[in-house]
Amino acid sequence: MCSLWVVLAFCCLGELRADQNLKPQIAAPQLATNNPTLTTVALEKPFCMFDSSMSPKKSYVIYLYAMKESASAISSLVTDNSSKPLDSTFQQTSGGQLGPYKAALFDVPNCASPPKLADAGDVNKVSDVLKQYLFRVGDDATCLYDPNFLAVCNPPLAPDTTYRFKYVLVESTEGIVKDQTLWSDPIKTRRVKLPLKIDTWPGRRSGSMIVITSIQSVLVFFLLAGLLASVSSAVMRPVNSSAETRHVSQTIQQSEPRPQLSSE
Amino acid sequence: MAKSDDGIRILQGLLVFGNVVIGMCGIALTAECIFFVSDPHGLYPLLEATENDDIYAAAWIGIFVGFALFALSILGIIGVIKSNRTLLLVYIILMLITYAFEMASCITAATHQDFLTPNLFLKQMLERYQKSETENNNDKWMTERVTDTWNKLMLQNQCCGVRGPSDWQEYLSAFRITHKDADFPWPHNCCVMDAQGSPVNLDGCKLGVPGYYNSNGCYDTISGPMNTHAWGVAWFGFAILCWTFCVLLGTMFYWSRIEY
Repeated sequence: MCSLWVVLAFCCLGELRADQNLKPQIAAPQLATNNPTLTTVALEKPFCMFDSSMSPKKSYVIYLYAMKESASAISSLVTDNSSKPLDSTFQQTSGGQLGPYKAALFDVPNCASPPKLADAGDVNKVSDVLKQYLFRVGDDATCLYDPNFLAVCNPPLAPDTTYRFKYVLVESTEGIVKDQTLWSDPIKTRRVKLPLKIDTWPGRRSGSMIVITSIQSVLVFFLLAGLLASVSSAVMRPVNSSAETRHVSQTIQQSEPRPQLSSE
Repeated sequence: MAKSDDGIRILQGLLVFGNVVIGMCGIALTAECIFFVSDPHGLYPLLEATENDDIYAAAWIGIFVGFALFALSILGIIGVIKSNRTLLLVYIILMLITYAFEMASCITAATHQDFLTPNLFLKQMLERYQKSETENNNDKWMTERVTDTWNKLMLQNQCCGVRGPSDWQEYLSAFRITHKDADFPWPHNCCVMDAQGSPVNLDGCKLGVPGYYNSNGCYDTISGPMNTHAWGVAWFGFAILCWTFCVLLGTMFYWSRIEY
């Protein structure tokens, strides 16, 4: 009865659905928009996936295993012969190439009161919401190179590679695997393009450039033509005016001697 | 006789008016180009690094052309009023030279504005932002200036990348070589900052939770001022040139009609 209300509450929240296939799911895209990145994948924690296998008096831990999809042909077992979880690391499996490696270890997420994704908008609550809701595979860039690191190392994944993930429920006192999900759907990390390949050619010329250049060229032509015309007309005219003045002075000279003759 | 005398007077009046307008436009052009050259938005380093900063060359030419137009307009007014052939001939020749320079400035500004595309700034940002190994002093200088400009842009305008933060994820970059994707899917300046200048929530920013990172691109804040700059120089210069064309033609006609 109690669990029925819980399921209804989930449906009302509309964010976490416990009735999907039991596979690890990628974190809600409306919350984690940058997912998957080049070297990380953020997965939703296994809410209410193992409820049927957990008994109330015992304590449990969840292990997360990751492997490259190509490794599924080699080995995809996460338990050894005695039902104990595999203790493989990133280095031992060459980053998940030879088989699954243990990427994380965390407490069983609270099925009764899951984090509300709408709370992510609140600055004070967002850290808790993110921590409780999702787990980022590939988050730790330094643990591989730190010789003092003793916890489970979660190094960055390889770009442009397909990975698959699995959650395993382990009972903490006996260390035995109680339940496991299926392997997730293949999730591929991003690939990068080279900036050399970016084409910076602007394409065709813009209209304003064509208008300015063409009109200006025409105007300059007219200016030079006008300059030529005015200089040539200025050069031509003094020739005509000097001829006129010479003609006028000649007529004056011709008219002058006659009065002298008549006076004599 | 009276009619042609009136005509000459009207032409003189028009030429004086034309020259007054040229003088004022010259001062306005100088002021506008000084404003653009002073780079109030601090975007010059981006252009300098793309080696495509000719809109600034056009603005520099505009400063000197504007001043020359002002000086020549005064010469023109004096020459028209005194009807002095020598003065007016000097005016016409110098005005033609100034016209040629202004034409060069307009065409340069209009042409080089076409080159300012998002891909140009994207490529430069990816290749230069936080580049760690620089080849020579020039490279180091440009890298530092580009990095500072981008940091300032992203902080002041709350934007990230050219088209968006996905630029950092889609392309390899100089930044990616020195900063691991797990810690820096994009620069921390893309995160929403609190009053002290540190990200409000770094995990939220890295995961891309809405409200903790800047999801819009910076291209609008870059291209807006640059387009204003280029269009201001190109089209105002074009308008001045059209007016100067008419005044010059009128002056040439007037010059050819002056009697010795």
